[in-house]
Amino acid sequence: MDVHDLTAAYAVDALDSDEAEAYERHLGQCEDCREQLAELSETSAALAFGPVAPAPHARLRAAILETAAAERSNVVPLLQRRWVARGLAVAAAAAACIVVGLAVALSKSSDTRVVTALVSRDSFGNVTLSVSGLSTAPQGKTYETWVIPKGKAPIPAGLFSGGGSATVHLRGTVPQNAIVAVTIERAGGARTPTSSPIFSAPA
Amino acid sequence: MNRQLAHLSDEALVALAARSEQSALAELYDRYGRTAYGLAFRILRDGTLAEDAVQDAFLTIWRSASQFVPERGKASTWILTLVHRRAVDVVRREQRRRADALDRAPEPTVEGVDEDAWLRLQRERVQDALRKLPDAQREALELAYYGGFSQSELAERLGQPLGTIKSRMFTGLSRMRELLGEPGGEMSWTSTT
Repeated sequence: MDVHDLTAAYAVDALDSDEAEAYERHLGQCEDCREQLAELSETSAALAFGPVAPAPHARLRAAILETAAAERSNVVPLLQRRWVARGLAVAAAAAACIVVGLAVALSKSSDTRVVTALVSRDSFGNVTLSVSGLSTAPQGKTYETWVIPKGKAPIPAGLFSGGGSATVHLRGTVPQNAIVAVTIERAGGARTPTSSPIFSAPA
Repeated sequence: MNRQLAHLSDEALVALAARSEQSALAELYDRYGRTAYGLAFRILRDGTLAEDAVQDAFLTIWRSASQFVPERGKASTWILTLVHRRAVDVVRREQRRRADALDRAPEPTVEGVDEDAWLRLQRERVQDALRKLPDAQREALELAYYGGFSQSELAERLGQPLGTIKSRMFTGLSRMRELLGEPGGEMSWTSTT
């Protein structure tokens, strides 16, 4: 099956999850498909206006706004933590991946833990960040990954909450000479980093 | 209803929501909540499930507003895509409900549905465009988009090869794009107040 043919089906959410994942991987590589998907998604979203349906109950609006308010009120000032890069180790290559990143050991002043972060690029060019040993982000905070193309501003590439191990499939295309970095940001993420990276690696 | 942000574009509202501005989320809901619920209700045929799907989608908007990239598409497309995806995820978990509902659930009538003129206009434009599609394309698109059927399920249900289903969806959606792009077919939000 030619993955290019899946654009319309993806736009109307008619792919099963395996097909959708394969298509999303392909999207990272195919400018034509990205353009076509942008067009067809707009048309697909217009279909949302088609049904005749009853109006939602007023409680729906109230429930959404109350929950949203409760989430953001959890935001606390970022604690000043001194993360110190302790050194580099050689990363092991995972099957079907070229590991291009590194493993980093970090320590905090109070307790010492080893955090490893592995940046890998598969044969489709998709870049994955695998992190283990990182504690769960503070309440109201999230870890945010960034792709920093050479000479350009950081681009948000996905959020994760830490705790145990996490695998983050970086969004969009990651240029060969880019840097992948992780910062701690307010829950929901930021558009530009608001703190120094807790670690960074070449992609 | 407080509409002090009614003059802002959808994209500006998403940017404000990314900065934790709750009134921006409220305004986005006031613009798209009704359409979102109508879509979720059509797919799920159940008021409670539809409310849950819409709430999940709007909270996703709130949590990930900072990740929205205006250069990649309109905010309304992003919002309605999130709602649709959520509703389809739920309906696929509720296989039996969907099969029953499609055959038996009555279509709500236009009478008794209170809506504003703009929404009615959009609905008529979409329905007119759908009516202009060849039957086979309309059937594939409607079952996929409003029924939540995957392309493989459609191939089985309609007794057609997968390639035929894919081709019908692609041709049908492309034709819809042309039809909705005709004069007066601009689907972007404009203030009606």
